[in-house]
Amino acid sequence: MSAATMSNPPGFTGRTVRRALRSSWGARVTSYVAFLIAWQLVGISFFRVPTPWETLDFIWREVSGGDHGGVRPGQFWEHFSATVPRFAIGISAAFVIGVIGGLAIGSFSFVRALLSDVLLVFLALPAIIWAFLTVMWFGLGWEAPVYTVILSAAPFVAVNVAQGVRAVSPELRRMSDAFGVPRNRRIRSMLLPAITGYLFTGLRFAVIIGWNAVLLAEWFGAVDGVGWRARLWYDAARYKGFVGWAIIFIVFIFLLDGLVLSPLQRRAFRWRASPTSDLDAEVGAVDMESFTNTARGL
Amino acid sequence: MATLQIEKLTKTFPAHSKGGRPVRAIQDISFAMSGQVFVSLVGPSGCGKSTLLNIVSGVDSPSTGTVTVTQDGKKARLGYVFQDSRLLPWRTVMQNMLYVSDLPEEEARSNASKYLEMVGLGHAHEMFPGQLSGGMQQRVGIARAFSVSPDLLLMDEPFSHLDAITARSLREELQVMWNATKKTVLFVTHDVMEAVQLSNRIITLAHGGTVFDDTTVELPFPRKASDPEFAAQQAELLGRFETMELERTAAKG
Ligand SMILES: Nc1ncnc2c1ncn2[C@@H]1O[C@H](COP(=O)(O)OP(=O)(O)OP(=O)(O)O)[C@@H](O)[C@H]1O
Ligand SMILES: [Mg+2]
Repeated sequence: MSAATMSNPPGFTGRTVRRALRSSWGARVTSYVAFLIAWQLVGISFFRVPTPWETLDFIWREVSGGDHGGVRPGQFWEHFSATVPRFAIGISAAFVIGVIGGLAIGSFSFVRALLSDVLLVFLALPAIIWAFLTVMWFGLGWEAPVYTVILSAAPFVAVNVAQGVRAVSPELRRMSDAFGVPRNRRIRSMLLPAITGYLFTGLRFAVIIGWNAVLLAEWFGAVDGVGWRARLWYDAARYKGFVGWAIIFIVFIFLLDGLVLSPLQRRAFRWRASPTSDLDAEVGAVDMESFTNTARGL
Repeated sequence: MATLQIEKLTKTFPAHSKGGRPVRAIQDISFAMSGQVFVSLVGPSGCGKSTLLNIVSGVDSPSTGTVTVTQDGKKARLGYVFQDSRLLPWRTVMQNMLYVSDLPEEEARSNASKYLEMVGLGHAHEMFPGQLSGGMQQRVGIARAFSVSPDLLLMDEPFSHLDAITARSLREELQVMWNATKKTVLFVTHDVMEAVQLSNRIITLAHGGTVFDDTTVELPFPRKASDPEFAAQQAELLGRFETMELERTAAKG
């Protein structure tokens, strides 16, 4: 250890605090704390805005099944367990349909000619349209949320997969041609790994859009589920209930992304020699600008 | 014994744009090669060398004329070394070797090990291409082409992207490998010295895709650039190149 560092022993000095604040971790914590303080101030000033504490208290009662001032007992798990299967089935179906459709659109120019405008229409249609339509078609129940998820999420998977297929290096294709590599091996070892980044981008879009879709569809077209429950509090003008549920929705997406999608993605990109910390920025992050370009480019 | 027969081959690429002219990459090439030979194809940039190799490998098709590659009357198996290594970045070295092989799994594996060992990468089976230097990647590319047990081995300027020192050591390795295996090789280069060092026969293409010259090289292996006979061969070939260029400028008027 050099003399300079010796003379400045580690401790809670002004410099270390400043450095901690500037680190990405420190900056994040700072922004959360600042947000909470601002929220608290607004919550105290306006009676229609619940404070963070009130909201947290509500979430706790809802999750633990405690009572909400003697009116209705908390029913988080009941509704959560109704929604998650709808969401999961919808996303899985959207993923499968999107991958198959995207492979076809990316590989065959006549399929591209046939479907690219249709795809653009689907991308442009907001989930709420699907929510209304599916409620009209299927009535209240599990179908409307599931189909809304599929219809709004699948196009986002397809558009990304198609883009990925078209980006596969022509050099690697020619190499495979020259050695006469059989088709199924080519799909497994060249095509699918080459589009993994695009697949993750598509999947992340699908998850975010699908989650929105399931909430909307339940809001209008179900008799249970988290979307329905959020509406209940909204209709009862219980603001902390509504805000509390909004926070639950956000936390769910964060957990899904952090605990499922990110680890999956890291696993898929093991082959990268030096996995950088901004891996997410490179592949799979949701980038609205590139997405719009993608949609236009097809 | 593999035989490559090229007869009256031409290749014209359609015009890139409306009103553009179609590109004549190859104009009437005929030659044949067979057995344990290392043939180099040299010529100026754009004279159709890569196009010829692509047609031989079946990646491209001829406009007119025929190309046949046979191995004792059967269809021959081909190996290909590209200018760049063209490895799948998401597969390990060993997986890359197995990717191109149509041999039974066990044979493919032992072949892959054998040739990786030969190019000095016996330790790198489980590494990803991104963890290897450019020269090492190209070594894998060479080992890969040998490992499919090709009857005919095609190489398109495999050393031109490498620095001079790496290129030299790879050239020496290739010479050792060829002497050990005596594959039928068609090797494209625009480096006359490289051609003289490696080949038994040198075919020179002219601008516009015709055969300009066809010479055999009788020097014993291993060849050293410092050897006067080597230098003489090289000088003679370069002399013919100059004649070719002079004729070309004269023809242009
Ligand atoms: N796919 C293609 N479409 C149109 N023209 C092409 C195509 N491939 C090659 N050409 C043209 O054919 C000619 C021969 O190209 P080729 O790549 O075979 O040259 P080369 O001898 O390999 O050159 P180099 O030494 O620079 O690699 C060039 O004029 C090139 O522009
Ligand atoms: Mg070339």
